[in-house]
Amino acid sequence: MHLDVAFGTLFNLLTDPYLIGLMLIAVPLGAFFGAMPGLGGKLGVVLLIPFVFGMEPIAGAVLLLAMHSVVHTGGSIPSILFGIPGDGTSTAVVLDGYEMTRNGEGGRALGASFGASGIGGVLGAVFLGMLLPVLEPIVLAFSPAEFFLLAILGITFIATLSGKNVVKGLVLGLLGLMVAFVGLDPSTGGPRYTFGHLFLWDGIDIITAVLAMYAIPEMIALGSGQGAVDYGDGASKRYKISEVWGGIMDVFRHWKLTLRTSLIGAVIGLIPGLGGDAASWICYGHAVQSSKTPERFGKGAVEGVIAPETANNSKEGGALLPTLFFAVPGSSGMALLLGAFLMLGIQPGPTIVTENLDLVWTLIWALAVANVLCVVILVALTPWLGSLANVRPPLLIPFVLVFALLGSYLSSAAWENLILIFFLGCLGYMCRRHSWPRPPFVIGVVLGPVAEDSLHKALALWGPSFFLRPLSLILIAMIIGSIVFYVWRTRRENALEGIGHD
Amino acid sequence: MLKRMLAVVVGVLFLAGCQDNSGAGGEPGAAADENYFSGKTITYVIATDPGGGYDTYGRMISRHMQKYLPGSRIIIRNVPGAGHIVGANTIYASRGDGLTIGMFNTGLIYNQLLQLEGVNFDLTNMSWVGKASNEIRVMLVATNSPYKSFEDMLAADEPVKFAASGVGSAAYLDTRILDTVYPEFDIETIAGFAGAEGELSMMRGELSAQVGIASSYDQFVANGNGYFALAMSQLAADLYPDVPVAQDYATTEEGLQLLGLLEALSDLGRLTVGPPGIPADILAVLRDAHSKAVNDPELLAEAMQIHIPITEGSGEYVEQRIIEALNQPAEIVALLGQAATSQ
Repeated sequence: MHLDVAFGTLFNLLTDPYLIGLMLIAVPLGAFFGAMPGLGGKLGVVLLIPFVFGMEPIAGAVLLLAMHSVVHTGGSIPSILFGIPGDGTSTAVVLDGYEMTRNGEGGRALGASFGASGIGGVLGAVFLGMLLPVLEPIVLAFSPAEFFLLAILGITFIATLSGKNVVKGLVLGLLGLMVAFVGLDPSTGGPRYTFGHLFLWDGIDIITAVLAMYAIPEMIALGSGQGAVDYGDGASKRYKISEVWGGIMDVFRHWKLTLRTSLIGAVIGLIPGLGGDAASWICYGHAVQSSKTPERFGKGAVEGVIAPETANNSKEGGALLPTLFFAVPGSSGMALLLGAFLMLGIQPGPTIVTENLDLVWTLIWALAVANVLCVVILVALTPWLGSLANVRPPLLIPFVLVFALLGSYLSSAAWENLILIFFLGCLGYMCRRHSWPRPPFVIGVVLGPVAEDSLHKALALWGPSFFLRPLSLILIAMIIGSIVFYVWRTRRENALEGIGHD
Repeated sequence: MLKRMLAVVVGVLFLAGCQDNSGAGGEPGAAADENYFSGKTITYVIATDPGGGYDTYGRMISRHMQKYLPGSRIIIRNVPGAGHIVGANTIYASRGDGLTIGMFNTGLIYNQLLQLEGVNFDLTNMSWVGKASNEIRVMLVATNSPYKSFEDMLAADEPVKFAASGVGSAAYLDTRILDTVYPEFDIETIAGFAGAEGELSMMRGELSAQVGIASSYDQFVANGNGYFALAMSQLAADLYPDVPVAQDYATTEEGLQLLGLLEALSDLGRLTVGPPGIPADILAVLRDAHSKAVNDPELLAEAMQIHIPITEGSGEYVEQRIIEALNQPAEIVALLGQAATSQ
């Protein structure tokens, strides 16, 4: 490894007032676009691209990348404060983040989210820097067979996410998988459960599903006085910096989890095709499963904020490398950046490491530095964000509902989503009222299409023997391990409870 | 430096607020006809999400068309869904006053020919404004595959595995057509490879080839990962003189006719179009503005910088080509239907 290049570029980046100035513009813009439900980071980059015409390649690339890399950090703000995810990848943080706000711990949740995003972004970048020499074999090792098994591994987390009601969890998980079948059949192209409506051809929109399962039921509950939210005396209050700081410290207290989910996120980002939504949900499931007290999740566990947030940001580092090396973008956001890089005169391809290593490292560091800058800026703003969340319910409910409907409509520019959100919202409210676990449903909706599509491809490529690929065998072992571990733990808990009763 | 940064911030926030294309205003004192659009807002519908090729072309063309429609404002509306069909239906259903135009994938020609579900438009009577590019169909073959030329593939004993995007999409049908045109050539089409997934799969050695638009593979070819084995259009002769042309290998009359469809699609890229019933004088103004925009030196410089090709074609030309392409005898439509449903 070329340590001189690696650290020389970091030094240059930090001491160049122009580049730092550009990042200071890009970071708040990225966070803003991420935080506004329905706008989204991609639109932000699209709108910014005309402004980088004629810039120096490095400056333009740093500006766009800095903006893109902090979108998810901003996206968690409405998820945590109002239960409205800014984009698909910020859906998992709703579960515990919004619950923490309801418990009066919104400041801590935001702190944990920002801290986790920052650390995830930095760790993702550093991890990828270290991977540079062996990048190609790793990226190419993952194929549809592995995507299928990763999705199945994620689906096994349904059991853990069901809490005490495994049967209820399985029912909702299967319902989620069925909802995932809505759309065009990937193997025949025929419409499935679409009832003649074109907007269903692309499947059920994930943001609408999460809004319907979380934001809508919470607002109904709040309006009908069952919300039990700790809004104090109703006067708007600010979050104390000490609360936010506590949240950031939580990230370090759970450093093992932070490290693991950063790595998982970076690897998922590195292999194009699995998608960012899957990354944050798989990491959330992993956090629940690896926790000694899984029953705390969904009720405001800080680990439930840390895991998806680290993954969201570390995966962007992961997605950058295939874009630069193979000119093959790992996500639609990266496809946009790839176009912009070409425009700036940056020629992605395998030779970029040998001919333009400076640039690669500058971009990796820009990713890391932008993440840190974003944390500093958002933490400084957090006290004021608190006044937004602690509004009296009669004022809060209409505001949240408007944003929820707006987010649902804009996420796929279809007014029909508003009808969908009504029906799914009823389902969500019934689940909430009768304590049916909602995460399994969302897991089914998110991972169902990945599993189905990659199963088709894997079978077409290798037939059933794809299960015998070496990496597949490892993943199968992990799936079995996940189930065995769950059964073992449930039995032990039952046994312990039995002793307690005696 | 500070000024420039400030300009970026103000500009982006403004754009975010109204989601339109600001920039060059109109030139006062233009011809009377052009004044129809003065003080009016034109909606440019793009049938995909923001980002991606159609969005890039649509935003660029509308931004420059605005310059040649004095006093007008063109705003972008992204209407994604059902593989461009929702966007096309939206444009078709809008009022024919020239204030709604847009862009969708020309591959919808297949959907209309096959009378597929969801089609609420008739391409033959839409108001075609002009084309901005060729989309030359080519067969991209992986360098690491056993096939070194198209002849190798024809001679292969086993089926050759091709990546394609969703079943029923234009790229999928392009591939199936080739399978029908060359009876001795067995293509196994594996669908579901969106975006660049097909290229990655080729790099992993799982698939041998895919059919797509030449300019989008330039990078992949330049990096040594693949080569063009076949071009589905005579238009390729200038750009890729060494690549054999599909028509030369066709042995049947039906085969040549099916390839004619690919030839037409290769010729009809990035079309701007309005709903039926735009009055001739207003359509003429739009066509004129489109033609000037696509020949505008600034637009050409921009396109060069982002590596997207520009080839202008008039609205009249496009209209004629579309009508020809859709005027297929029943047996060709039947063959196309078979190609679409076989695997």
